[in-house]
Amino acid sequence: MTDFDYSDAPFAIREDIKLAHRDYWQRLARPGSWWTGAERVAIAAESRRARTCAFCTERKNALSPYTQAYAHSNVSNLSARAVDAVHRVITDQNRITRTFVADNHAHGLSEEAYVELTGITVAVLSIDEFNRALGLQLEPLPEPLNGKPDEYRPENLTRDTGFVPMLRRDGAIGREQDLWSGERTANVLRALTLVPDVVRDWKMIGSAQYLSIEDMGDFGQQAGRSIDRMQMELVAGRVSSVNECFY
Amino acid sequence: MLRVSANKTETEIDVGMVIGQSGGNSELEFGEELMRFAGALASGNEAQLDDSRAELLDIAGPTVLVDAAGVAANFQRMVRIADAMGIPVDTNDNEMSNQLRADLGLHEFRSAENSTTKP
Repeated sequence: MTDFDYSDAPFAIREDIKLAHRDYWQRLARPGSWWTGAERVAIAAESRRARTCAFCTERKNALSPYTQAYAHSNVSNLSARAVDAVHRVITDQNRITRTFVADNHAHGLSEEAYVELTGITVAVLSIDEFNRALGLQLEPLPEPLNGKPDEYRPENLTRDTGFVPMLRRDGAIGREQDLWSGERTANVLRALTLVPDVVRDWKMIGSAQYLSIEDMGDFGQQAGRSIDRMQMELVAGRVSSVNECFY
Repeated sequence: MLRVSANKTETEIDVGMVIGQSGGNSELEFGEELMRFAGALASGNEAQLDDSRAELLDIAGPTVLVDAAGVAANFQRMVRIADAMGIPVDTNDNEMSNQLRADLGLHEFRSAENSTTKP
C-alpha cells in the first residue's frame, strides 16, 4: 500500500499534499543530521504520544512547568530530556524558555539535536493534524533506515535572536543558498536553520499545506487553492490565537 | 497578514474573528465557519471539530474543507516553531502591527516575552 493514498477519505485530497506528506515520511525514516533514522521515528512516535500524556495535561495546568519530575507516558527509548522536549513542544510550547534550551544543552540534548527534534515533532504534528482535521486515520509511521547522522552544521551562524544559533540574514549562501534569496527572510524561516534540512522539510510541507515562500508575498487568489488569502490568514490567525502564539 | 490581505483587496473584515469574536460585519465568505473549524482543531475539542467540519463541508464543500485543513495543520506547526525557538516578531517597529496586537490583547500571551516592543 502506498503511504498517504488517502483511500479512506470521503473526498479528494490534493495531489501536492499527498506528495509532500509521502516525501516527508521517506525523509523521516532516514538518518538526519543529529539523530538516526530509528531515533527520528521514535521522536515522531513521541510527537503522537504527547497528545494523550497524562503528565503533560497535569503540567499544562500547573503554575510552573518545573514543579514536578518528569513522568511522561513515553513510547520510546529516547532519553528523558528528549522525550520531555518533544512533549513540551506539542503540549506546552509557549512556556519554553532560553533557560530550558540551555539546560538541556548542558545535559546532553545539544542545541543542534533540539532543533532537529523540534523540526521532526512539528512536521509530524502538521501531517497528523491535517488528517485529524478531516476526521481521517493517522498514517502508520515508517520503518527507520540504517545509517549515521551526518552532523552537518552550517557556517554563517549567529546568536542575534531566539534561543539557538541561526543563519545570518545574509547567510543563505553556499550549501544553504536554496533556503531564501538574498537577505529577504523572516525569523520564522531562520528559526531552524541550525539544521538546514529541517528548514527544507518545513518549506516542502508548508508549500503544500499553505503557501510556498515565494507565494507568500502575493495576496491575491492562489492557483490551485479554493480559499483566498484572507480566508487562509483567518484560519492561520485563529489557530495561532488559540495556541496563544504572539508571533 | 490578515489585515494586510484585507487592505490589499479592499475587503471589510473584522479581525476580532482571530480571537473568536463573531465577524458580523465581515465580507469574508465562510468566515464564521472557517473560524470555528480552525479554533476547534487548535483547541483539541473533538466534538467541536466534528461539528465544525460538518458545518464547513455542508456550506463550502470538500475542496474548501481540505484547503482549510491544510492551512490549519500548517499553523499548528508554525506556532510551535516560533515558541520553541523563541523568535521575536519581525515587525516590532511596525505601528499598525503593534496596534493590532494590542487591540486583540495578544500581549497577554506568554510568548510575547520573546518580542521586546509593547505599546
